[in-house]
Amino acid sequence: MSQPPPDQPSAAPAAPATDLTTLFPQGEGIQAQIARRQRNATIWRFVFLGATSLAVIILTTLLLSIINQSFGLVAEQTNIPETQLIVNYQKSLMLEASNVALSSEDDAALAEGIAADAAGVGLLGNAYTTQNQDTLRALSIGGVAPTAETVQSGAYPLARPLLLYTTATTVADKPQIGAFLAYYLQVADEVMAEIGYFPLDEATLAQQETTLLALLGATELPTIVPAEYEGDIVIAGSSTLNQVTREVAKRFRAEGFQGAIKITSVGTGAGFAGFCAVDGGVDIVNASRTITQLELESCRANALNPVATVVGADALAVVVNAQNDFATDITLEQAGLLFSSAVNWAEVDAGWPAEAINRYIPTTDSGTMDFFVATVFAAQTLADLPYDSLVTVFQANVSAGRCRAAEAEQRFYADRFVCDTEEAFTARCEGENPTTGCTLAPRDHASLEALVQAEVIQPEVLQAWFLAESIFRRDEIVATALEEYPSADVHFRRWLTWDFITRPQSATPELAGVRTAILGSLWVVGIGLLAGFPVGVGAAIYLEEYANKRKRFNSIIQTNINNLAGVPSIIYGLLGLTVFVRVLEPITSGAIFGVGDPTTANGRTILSAGLTLALLILPVIIISSQEAIKAVPSSLREASFGLGATRWQTIWNHVIPNAIGGILTGVILAMSRIIGETAPLVVVGAATLITSDPSGPFSKFTTLPIQIYQWTARPQQTFLLIAGAAIIVLIILLFILNIFAIYLRNRYARRIG
Amino acid sequence: MSNVATYSTNGGPYAIEAQDLSIYYGSFRAVKNINLRFPTHKITALIGPSGCGKSTVLRAFNRMNDLIPISRAEGVILFHGKNIYDHDVDPVEIRRRVGMVFQKPNPFPKTIYENVAWGARINGFKGSKTDMDALVEESLRDAAVWDDVKDKLNQSGLSLSGGQQQRLCIARAIATRPEIILMDEPASALDPISTLRIEELIQELKKNYTILIVTHNMQQAARASDYTAFFNMDADRAGYLVEYNQTDELFTSPKNEMTEQYITGRFG
Ligand SMILES: Nc1ncnc2c1ncn2[C@@H]1O[C@H](COP(=O)(O)OP(=O)(O)O)[C@@H](O)[C@H]1O
Ligand SMILES: [Mg+2]
Repeated sequence: MSQPPPDQPSAAPAAPATDLTTLFPQGEGIQAQIARRQRNATIWRFVFLGATSLAVIILTTLLLSIINQSFGLVAEQTNIPETQLIVNYQKSLMLEASNVALSSEDDAALAEGIAADAAGVGLLGNAYTTQNQDTLRALSIGGVAPTAETVQSGAYPLARPLLLYTTATTVADKPQIGAFLAYYLQVADEVMAEIGYFPLDEATLAQQETTLLALLGATELPTIVPAEYEGDIVIAGSSTLNQVTREVAKRFRAEGFQGAIKITSVGTGAGFAGFCAVDGGVDIVNASRTITQLELESCRANALNPVATVVGADALAVVVNAQNDFATDITLEQAGLLFSSAVNWAEVDAGWPAEAINRYIPTTDSGTMDFFVATVFAAQTLADLPYDSLVTVFQANVSAGRCRAAEAEQRFYADRFVCDTEEAFTARCEGENPTTGCTLAPRDHASLEALVQAEVIQPEVLQAWFLAESIFRRDEIVATALEEYPSADVHFRRWLTWDFITRPQSATPELAGVRTAILGSLWVVGIGLLAGFPVGVGAAIYLEEYANKRKRFNSIIQTNINNLAGVPSIIYGLLGLTVFVRVLEPITSGAIFGVGDPTTANGRTILSAGLTLALLILPVIIISSQEAIKAVPSSLREASFGLGATRWQTIWNHVIPNAIGGILTGVILAMSRIIGETAPLVVVGAATLITSDPSGPFSKFTTLPIQIYQWTARPQQTFLLIAGAAIIVLIILLFILNIFAIYLRNRYARRIG
Repeated sequence: MSNVATYSTNGGPYAIEAQDLSIYYGSFRAVKNINLRFPTHKITALIGPSGCGKSTVLRAFNRMNDLIPISRAEGVILFHGKNIYDHDVDPVEIRRRVGMVFQKPNPFPKTIYENVAWGARINGFKGSKTDMDALVEESLRDAAVWDDVKDKLNQSGLSLSGGQQQRLCIARAIATRPEIILMDEPASALDPISTLRIEELIQELKKNYTILIVTHNMQQAARASDYTAFFNMDADRAGYLVEYNQTDELFTSPKNEMTEQYITGRFG
C-alpha cells in the first residue's frame, strides 16, 4: 500500500519539482488511483467481515454444543417412581377416609350401594351406569359427559384404555393364548358395545392387529377355529374388563374350545403381580391401565417382556344416585376433593347441601383407583404431600439404621422422634461428638423432599445421550437402552429445568441443583461490587481531580494501577487468603460480631470472597472511571469554578453526573469479569459441597463457576451434563444482571445528566 | 524599558488594578510587568495579536490560572485594596465576585433554569422558590435572552443556538451578582448578528458591572468599549502592555508606533 503509484518518479529528486501540481496523477491516472484505493477498501471490508463471521461461527458452535449437552435421551432408573408415591399416598387417603361406605372390587356391588344411597357417590366403569340408568347418574367433568365421541377424541378426562397383557414366550409356548387373543380382537368391538364400553376406532384396531401379528409371527391374521385348540387359559386382573373377557370366553367356548378358561377379578395390580411372578401362572392380564414402571421392572427381572393389546376403552364415571338433584357437573379438582379430603358435599361446592358424602370405591389393588388418582392428582409432586406423610414414606422405605442416622443429622420433629429415641439422642448430644441434629432446627418440607428424593426415589441416570444423537438416532438408542438397562425408563430429559435452578446442591447428580451456587454468586459479586465500587471510584476521582500528575509519587501510583489490571487473578486469591482469611479472620468469620456460623468458624466466608473479588476489580473500576472522568470537558469545570464553586461542588455537580455513564459501564464490565471467576475463590476456600443456602456474609460459600468447575472434574457422565446446564444458568444469570445494570445506568445517567 | 505603558483616565475609582504583574507557565514567562487599572462601570477592551497573553492576563483577575498547575503569578492584583494573590485569600471568593464568560459558550448540560439558578444556589442564595424564579427571570432578562427561553426553562441549555447559549452563560454569570465580569472573546464563536446582540448587551451591562473584554476584533473594540489596552509580544515572546487609553483616543491618535501599525492592520 505504500508503493508509489507507477506514474510517479521512483527516485525522489533532491530539489522539489518546479510545478508541484504535476506530482498528482493526471488524466486517466486520477480514476486509476481512486479505483486502487477503493479496491483496498473492499479488501479490508472482506477481511473484517471474515473476522466477524469467524467470531459468530465460533460463538454459535459453543452455544450449540452447550445446548447439545443439556438436553437428550436418558436411561433413568428409580427405586420407586415419584408418581407411585403420590398415587399410594392419595389412594391410602381415599381408602382410609371415614366416610367410605363400601370399598369393593365388585362393580355390581358398588352400583347397588349407590342406587340405595341418596347421598352416595362412587367410581364405576361407565358400563354399569349405562346398565342402571334409572338408579344411577354419571356426572360430566368440566362440562364433558362420557360418550363414545368424547372418549375416542380424548375430551373426557377419565377415559382409559382397556388392555390385555401377555408375553411373546407365553404365546409361543401355548398356542391357545394367541388364538384367544386373535379371537378377542375379532369380537371385541361387538362385545364392548354390548356391555357398555367403547369400541376401538379403526386406526387403533389396525394397530393392534399389527402388534398381534408380530406376536404370532404371522403375516396375516388367521381365521380362528376355537375347536382346534386345547389347553388351559388363566386370566386375572381388572374387574372392569372382567365382564368383557367373560363374554368373549363364553363365545370362545361356545365355538368349541376344548380347554378350560379361568378368569378372576382381582384388580389390575394383583393381576400384574401374578403375571410377573416366576410361577404366577397367569397367562393374560386384564388391565384397565398401562403397566407401571415398577411392575415392568419386576416383570423384566424375571425375564418376562409384557406386550400390550388394546381391546377397547372405558370411561370411568363419577356416579351419583339418580335422586341426587344438585350435582351434575364437576371439575377434575372437585372430583379429587369428592373422594379424598372433603367430608360433606358443601365442601366440594358451596352451593351443595352440607350432607355427608358416602363413598363407594374400588379397593387398593384396583386399576380404576390407580387410574383415577394418577389422572386427578397428575400435577402433584412430593411438594404436595404433607410433611407427616413424607416422614412416613421415608421411614417405610429405608432401613431403621439409616432412618436413625438421618434423624441424628437433622430431626424431623422438634418435639418427638421417629426412629431415634429420647435417651439415645440426649446421650449422644451430651457426649463427645454431638451430631448436627443436636443444634440444627428440625427439617423443613423442602429438605425432607430432597431426602425422600435421594433415598427413597433414588433416581439414577444410567446413561445419557446428547441432543443431536437423541434426535437422529432415537429408535436405535431406545432399543439398545431397553436391552442394556431392562429396568430403566428411557425418556427425553431436559437437564436445565426450573427444579435444577431451585434445588440445592446434592451429591446425587440427578438431584443436584444450583440454587446454593446462584445465591453464593449473587452474594459474592454483590459484596465485591459494594466494596470495589466506592473505593475504585473514589480513587479515580482523587487521581483525576486532586492529585498533581506531575508529582513522581502520583505517576508511580498510576503506573502500578495500570499494571495491577493485568495481574493473574490467582494472585489476588493468594492475597485474599493471607489478608482476609488469615489475618482478618476474626472479622471475616464474624467472630467479633458474635454472628459467625458455628459449623465453619473460620475466615473462608462470603465476606472474604467478596472482598477478594473487590480487590480484583479495583484496577478495572479505577481505570475505567478515570477514563470517564477525563472525558468530561474541562470547559464545564471552568464554568463551574468561574461561578465560584469549590472543587467538591464542581466534582459532585458536574464531573460525576457527566462521568457516571462511563463509570457504570466500567462497573458492568467488572461485574461480568468477577461473576465468572474461579481461581481466586478456590484459593480463598470455596466449599466443595454445601447444601444449605448462604444466610449472610459470614456463611460458607460456593459460586456457579466453582460448581461448574467441580462438576466437570467428576468422572461420572451425569455430572458433565449438569455442568453444561449450569453453564447455561451462568450465562443467563450474567445476562439478567447485565440487563439490570444497563437499565440502572441508563436511568440514573439520564436523571442526573 | 518603555514597556510599562502609561495610561490616562477620567479619574474616578477603579474596580481592579494590576501592579507589575508577570505570569509564568512553568519556566516560560507568558506576560510581563503589566500595570493596569480598570475604571468602575466601564468597558475595557484588551486587544493585541494572537498569543500575546490577553487571555492569560484576563484569567489572572479571577485566579482562573490557578487551575493550570504549572502557572504562577508574580506581582500584585489589587481588589478593594487587597492583593488577591495573598495567601489568606480564597480564590473561591474572588471568582464569586469576579464573574467570567468564556470564548466558547459552555452551558451546563442541565435545564436552562438550573444553569442560572445553580451558581446562585451554591453561593448561598437564601430565597424561596419564588425568589429564585424571580432571580432567574431577572438574570435572563438582563442577559437579553428571556424572550427566547421563557417557554422552555426546563429544556436543556444545550438545546439553544450558539448566540443564545452565550447569552445564557452571561445570565449565569450575572445571577451571582459579581462586581466585575471578565469576557474572553465572547463573540468570536458567533455569527455577525449574534455578535451584534452581545455587543448591545454589554453596553447595557455596563450600568451595573465593570467589564473587561478580550477581543481580536478591532471594530468591536472601537465600537463597544470605553477604554482599550493594547498588548504585544516582545522578542522573548512574553506579552507586555504597549498602550492603554480611552478608546477613541487610542484609535484616533495612538501614541505608540506599534499601536498605530496594529490598528491600521499592518500586522497582527
Ligand atoms: N495552559 C497553558 N500552558 C502553557 N502555556 C500556555 C497555556 N495557556 C497559554 N499558554 C501560552 O501563553 C501564551 C499566551 O497565551 P494566551 O493568553 O492564550 O494568548 P491570547 O489569548 O492573547 O491569544 C502563549 O504563548 C501560549 O502558548
Ligand atoms: Mg485568548
